[in-house]
Formats: sequence, C-alpha cells, structure tokens
Amino acid sequence: MKRHWNKYALVYIFLVPILIHFSIFQLFPILFSFYLTFTNWPVIGEPEFIGLKNWLGLLHDPLAWKAIGNTIMFSIYYIVPTMAVGLILALLINSGKKGTGFFKAVFFLPVVTSFVVVSGIWAWIFKGTDDGFVNMLLHAIGIEPQLFLSDSDQALIVLAGLSIFKVCGSTMIYYYAGLQSMPHELYEAAKIDGAGPWKTFWKITFPLLLPIHFYVAIVTTIGSFQIFDSAFLLTSGGPSNSTITIVYYLYQEGFTSLRLGYASVLAYVLFFIIFVISLIQKKYMGKEVSYK
Amino acid sequence: MLKMMNRSQLLYIPLILLGLVFIIPFGIMIIGSLLNMTLPIGNPFTWVVHEKFSFANFGYIFKNAPYLKWIINSLIITIIPVFSNMFFSAILGYIFARKQFFGREVIFWIMMAVIMIPSQLLIIPRYIMFSDLGWINTYLPLIVPEIWGIMGVFFVRQYMMTMPKDLEEAAYIDGAGDFTVFFKVYLPLAKPVIATVGTFAFIGNWNDLLTPLIFTTSDEMYPVTVGLASLLTKEGNFGVEMAGSVLSFIPTFLIFIFFQRYFVKGITLTGIK
Repeated sequence: MKRHWNKYALVYIFLVPILIHFSIFQLFPILFSFYLTFTNWPVIGEPEFIGLKNWLGLLHDPLAWKAIGNTIMFSIYYIVPTMAVGLILALLINSGKKGTGFFKAVFFLPVVTSFVVVSGIWAWIFKGTDDGFVNMLLHAIGIEPQLFLSDSDQALIVLAGLSIFKVCGSTMIYYYAGLQSMPHELYEAAKIDGAGPWKTFWKITFPLLLPIHFYVAIVTTIGSFQIFDSAFLLTSGGPSNSTITIVYYLYQEGFTSLRLGYASVLAYVLFFIIFVISLIQKKYMGKEVSYK
Repeated sequence: MLKMMNRSQLLYIPLILLGLVFIIPFGIMIIGSLLNMTLPIGNPFTWVVHEKFSFANFGYIFKNAPYLKWIINSLIITIIPVFSNMFFSAILGYIFARKQFFGREVIFWIMMAVIMIPSQLLIIPRYIMFSDLGWINTYLPLIVPEIWGIMGVFFVRQYMMTMPKDLEEAAYIDGAGDFTVFFKVYLPLAKPVIATVGTFAFIGNWNDLLTPLIFTTSDEMYPVTVGLASLLTKEGNFGVEMAGSVLSFIPTFLIFIFFQRYFVKGITLTGIK
C-alpha cells in the first residue's frame, strides 16, 4: 500500500483536483449548454423546456444567416492575406541580416497588444470623415474620402484589415520557425542547378512549408470564425448589420436580449462550423509531407 | 542611390516600409495621448509642429475614471492565473510526460480535444453557474476557471518528453522520491518553457475582453480592457482615448520587451515542426 502511494502520490495530489476542475468548468458547461439549447430561460425563474424550438427558430432567423454570411465573408477577406503577409514578413526577417531581430519585434508587437487598444487607434485611422487618417492620405493623392466603418460594403473589410494587422505577427513566427528548419542541402543543390530566387521559392521553399501552411490555415480559420472584439468595439455590428458576426450575435442574443437558450444554439452552430472546417482541412491539407 | 546598394541591402527597403506600417499606429497613439484636443483636425504630420504637448489627458483620466482601480483589477485577474498556470503546467506536464498510470493517454487527449470547442460555447453555461454561485461582479469567474490551461500542460509535456531518462534514474537510485525528482531535476530544466506558459497567460488574461465584459457589471470591477472600451464609447476626446490606450498598453509592452524571446520560443514549441 505504501509503495502504491509513493508511486502515485503526485498523480493523486495534483491530477485529481485538476480533473475535478476540468469537469466543473469545461465538461459540465459543454453538456449543460447543449441542454440549454432546448430551453427558454431568461436567467430568472426556471428553465422552460421547449424542445427543438430554438433550433428551428434558427432556420427562420435572417439575422442569424446574415451573421453566418458575414463571418464567412470576413474569413475570405482575412485568411489568405494573413497567411501571405505572415509568410512575406517571415522571409524578410529570415535573411538573418543585421537588425532583423528589431523588425521581428516590431511586427510581433500588435499580437501582444489588446484589441481594445488597437481598435481605438484604428477607429480614427479609418474614420469615415475628412479628418480620418487614411482619408487625409487619400485626399493628399486626390482620391475622394471613403466612409470606411460607416459604409456597409467597406466596414467588414476594414475589420479584416485590423485583424490582419493584429495577427500576422504570429503567423510570421510560425513561418519563421519553419524557414529556420529548412534543409540547407536543397538550396545548395538548387543554386548549383542555376535556379533563381523566384524559382527556388516556388519550387523548394513554398512546398516544403506545407505542414506550416496547414497548421497556420487551421489556426487562422478557427480564429476568423471567433471574431468578436473588433466588431463589438468598432461597429457594434453595424452599419445595417453588415458586421454582425456569429459571436457578436451570440453575445447580443445571450447578454443583451437574455435569450440564453437561443444564444446556446448559436454557440453550437459556431462549434459545428469549426469542427467541420477542421475535418475538411485535416482531410485535404494534412497530407504527409516529406523533405526527401 | 539604388545602384550603390547591393542586393542584400535592398532587403531593408521592404523591411523599413512594412515596419513603418506597424509602428505608425503606435506612434499615433503616443503622440495623440500628449495632444490637448477634442478631435484631431488637419494634416497629422503638422500636429507635432502646431500642437502643444502635455500630460493633461492622463491627469483627466485618473480624475474622471477609476483607472487605477481598473489596472489593479487587471493585475489581480492576471497575476494569479499566470503563477498558477506556470505551476500547474509544470507539474501536470511532468505527470503526463514522465509518470505511468492508468488512463494517462486517454485523459490527456480528452483534455486536448476540448480545446477544439470554442470558448464562446462555455460562456453561457458558466454565466448561469456563476450567477447561481453569486460570483458575478467578483474576481472569481475571471480567476477560478483560468488557474490552469491544457495548452500550457501540452507545452511542458512536449518539452519534458524529450529529456533523457538517465536524468531521473540517477536521482531515483540516490533514493529521491517523485517530489524531489520534479523539483530538483525537471523543474529547473523546464524554466524556459514555464516562462513561455507564463507570458502567454499574461497576454491572454490581460487582453481578454469578452469574459470580463460579461462577468463584471460595475465600473469599479472592470479590468482595463472593459474600462478602456467604456471610455472609448463615452469620451469623444481623441487625446483622452489615446492616453487611456497608452496606459493599458504599457504593462503589455513591458512584459513583451522583457520576455520577447519566450513568445517566439512558445510559438515554435507548439509542435508544428
């Protein structure tokens, strides 16, 4: 008995409490919110079981579809540019020239800064009046001032721009890590064969980064479906609902309208979308890559 | 001019241009915070010449908003999870990497699978739990669920799995128990990865908006993110907004400067290679 205790003391003392914590704060809420999707419960009083009403309500809720559509549009504006900019930044800092460490820090700075801070600045940079920063620049080169955040066609693009700016520093680090582990011999061989930098990039570097592309694509896609902060801070879902995203709508339904059951349905929709995307990406992009 | 530069020096042109794109917003924030004005009017490049700099906006904030309290709130809900995350990641990472027990792999991968579930799914059931417990508008809902995280455990586990077995065997032969082996052998060696876990926990909790937005309801209980967001919607004063942003930015910036190398390390540690 004593031996058994000695062998497993750490497991009992630390793992068991953590498992209890995990059950209370992770597992139970997941199951509980599934139950909530079948109830009508404005926090006060008892939950009322209403069956599939919330789920069916989703089908006839144009705003929910608008939120899903907006989120998908946001991903389209966001995913590829985030990956491309991250890769370009990584290629630049990977050259190992003097001072690239400084630029690495500069590019990474927005990643550690909160959305609230960045949004505050962004609000003025893309202010839709003559005294907005970008409009002043546009004016200087003779282009009409744009409405940006107050234009329902442009607002989502501006939010995507903000997110790209905020996140591409971490994409850069993923690619940088990949570039650092590239096999040198291949580049030597390419040089001997007379391949230029453009050809070397497309024939060697880009394909060898496939595992990183795959990983970054998943992380960026999942992140794009969870967009909330900038839509909440900069546009409050407007103008004319053009920036209502799934999570913003979830927040609004749950905590402004206090329809917790319906908001839980939206949370599950978000979960299903992310789950399906991960499956698809795993199936089509996760193919084995070999350096040989 | 261009002809005089060689190819490798040409690299600095895109680096500097892109660097400017990243730096300018922060420059605007700092300059804006020092300008005494309701709205920036006219060409921003002439501000520096025409406007007078002062710290009046900072004074205004501390007088008109409980900014100090917001910062203290943020520190409380950040520092505690940072240290508990470092501790639990270290010990659980060790347990999952080095101890043999029934169900080890299953438990670990169930926990990892749960990360797939977006955190927004947890917010509503947690809200109900916390309001039943009377935790709304206290620090508890912002601290208790955050005391450990599976990602941190994963980092430490990956790190400790690569360590040679000889390390612990020597200690066990000398009669050391698990506690000694963990504290004397593995913990010191895992310092860099534990620092990584800490920096990520700091940035994550300090910058979180949605969770405190929902679980705090009074001005006095806001962390700096929610406080600043309320300031941004209330004030129409650009200088004041930027001063608030600077104040909220400083702690993150200092952490970033001191622990910069751990961020890079942390991202490379996620095991993507």
